[in-house]
Amino acid sequence: MPQYLFWFFATIMLIGGLAVVSFKNPVASAISVVTCFLGLAGLFIGLSAFFVGIIQILVYAGAVMVLFLFIIMLLDIRAEKARNLSWLATAGGVGLVAFFTIQLVGVLGEPLPNQQAPPLDPETMAAAAENFREDTRIAQSLGEGGLPDVHLIGHKLFTEYNLPLQILGVLLLVATVGVVVLSKRQPERES
Amino acid sequence: MPAYYLEALVVFLGILLLIAEAFVPSKNKSWVGLSAAAGLTFILILAFLAVGPQDRPDKDWASWPLWNFYQFDAVARFFKIFSLTATILVLLMAVDFRGLLARFTDHPGSEESTGEYYPLMVFACAGMMWLASANNLAGAFVAVELVTISFYVLVAYLRRNIGSLEAGVKYVILGALSTAFLVYGIAWVFGSTGTMMLSDMPEALSAMENTRPLLFGIALVLVGIGFKVGAVPMQGWIPDVYQGAPTPTTAFLSVGSKAAGFIFLIRFLEPFLAEGSPVRGQLITLLAILAGATLLLGNLAAIPQTNFKRLLGYSSIAHAGFLLMAVAAWRPQGEGVLGSPQVVAFYLATYLVMTLGVFFILAQVRIQRDGEEVSHFNGLAKTNPHLAFGLTVLMAALAGLPLTAGFIGKFLVFSLAVQAGLWPLIGIAFIGVGAGFYYYLKLVRAMWWVDPAPDAAPVELPAFSRAAVVTLVALTLILGVFFQPILNLL
Repeated sequence: MPQYLFWFFATIMLIGGLAVVSFKNPVASAISVVTCFLGLAGLFIGLSAFFVGIIQILVYAGAVMVLFLFIIMLLDIRAEKARNLSWLATAGGVGLVAFFTIQLVGVLGEPLPNQQAPPLDPETMAAAAENFREDTRIAQSLGEGGLPDVHLIGHKLFTEYNLPLQILGVLLLVATVGVVVLSKRQPERES
Repeated sequence: MPAYYLEALVVFLGILLLIAEAFVPSKNKSWVGLSAAAGLTFILILAFLAVGPQDRPDKDWASWPLWNFYQFDAVARFFKIFSLTATILVLLMAVDFRGLLARFTDHPGSEESTGEYYPLMVFACAGMMWLASANNLAGAFVAVELVTISFYVLVAYLRRNIGSLEAGVKYVILGALSTAFLVYGIAWVFGSTGTMMLSDMPEALSAMENTRPLLFGIALVLVGIGFKVGAVPMQGWIPDVYQGAPTPTTAFLSVGSKAAGFIFLIRFLEPFLAEGSPVRGQLITLLAILAGATLLLGNLAAIPQTNFKRLLGYSSIAHAGFLLMAVAAWRPQGEGVLGSPQVVAFYLATYLVMTLGVFFILAQVRIQRDGEEVSHFNGLAKTNPHLAFGLTVLMAALAGLPLTAGFIGKFLVFSLAVQAGLWPLIGIAFIGVGAGFYYYLKLVRAMWWVDPAPDAAPVELPAFSRAAVVTLVALTLILGVFFQPILNLL
């Protein structure tokens, strides 16, 4: 990815993130989150993670945030009243962020093992195709110089992360049951 | 039987109960909890018989690819048995607690909304069992989240009770924050070692030139796990959530969630704390600082508490401090010597026995005297001397009095620390033990030397609670002198 594109999308993300916390109107905050997600999607696509980038827009910006907006409007959440920030809380927050930044700078300041991702040219693809059975969709697509990233991610998930994926299924079941339990309609009290 | 059937059976049991609960019309939902406990007891027996691929290499299943995600050794078996036992006991506690559950979910007398409480605990148990067998960070993370998300619901279950809802919101927000730390840390660890598999870590470590990114990642993961076990710097949620959550949930949190956090911590740190690892020294310093801070904060903040559940919350922080001390004094298991994982496991086993016993009694005091303050225990010795005696034994064990299970656990931790030469930490731990005597025995004083309020209920335990308390008190005393059976399991 050209460097200026990285800075462009990173700036969009930062502005979006700052806007989320500084807006007082919840709808404006939610829209700012969408901006932040768009910047993130740009970064993913710039790193050749096309599938993740598209999913970021479709699922997060598209579905999740729209749901957020619905809920904000359904519950009719008003703009926040002026906040009384205590001096101590502000200082604590700023201190924590500063501490974290110093840590991060300290880690990133040293030379890190810098691994360049392989370029997505036909030769790399053809070489990668040898890891898969010849008659599979993935091998064919890679051999033709395409990037079947949805298939590749699926393949990885269902082979290398099979058990975690199934545990996730149980997790979703628990979350669904939990939502129903906590929010189902209260029956009228008999009195 | 291959070990991975255990979790599958637990999840199957949970789904079966959910369906049965939805379709079988019944006024009294206690059967859901009782059949959950019965089912888990059956699985508990199977857990003793379960084997891994190293035990039966000739079998077909021993070469299945499933073992790439799943490991089964003595520690894993121990923690599976631990999770199952804790869940069975907490389910029984919940059955006796269901009057209050009904009161704050629907209306008193209707148990319509209490049926899902039990299956959720079963799912949390499955998460803990998977965690004990996780051998890569992705699997461990998913299992941890299964436990945590079940707990979010269990904490906020009393939806007509403002305290429970407040506890739920606090737990969700801080839990999400800690999860963010955990994931970010795992990303850094993956970025610097290039692998998610814990068994590949030593190899990656030996080839590593710059350990700083790895240390950064480990520190972030420690913050995330610190939330699960209730250690500094993420201990802030414990008192409020313990106080607000329904008592069986609190008991489950303090035993199950803590054990899950520690098995994750041990599995995760094992490669980094091994002899010859480049980050060993720094990591031990870091753990010792965390352990010291946790011990000081938990023990000293517990002293002024008047709410007994809050007090138990701080006491749970203090116990996390002792357990962290055992991890900081890291020693792998050798011939005839107990390693840190074994000591942590033993300490947790004694902690389970003592803490669940106390919570069984607390749950009934909450129902029958309608409160959880230390003053609600006033004069218990006059109204029900047997119960007061049991509670006295349990409190003495929590404080670490000799001849009780709590003493052996603390003794093992201290001897590990002495051998590792962590003298400043040992000093802090002694202060902690001293403070512990003060605040645990405060309750004993209330029971024996203060007169009961004139209208105080005598507090009689229902059948299950009584059986459980008698067993747990007996175990506390037996394990205090005869603790070999638990060590044999490890």
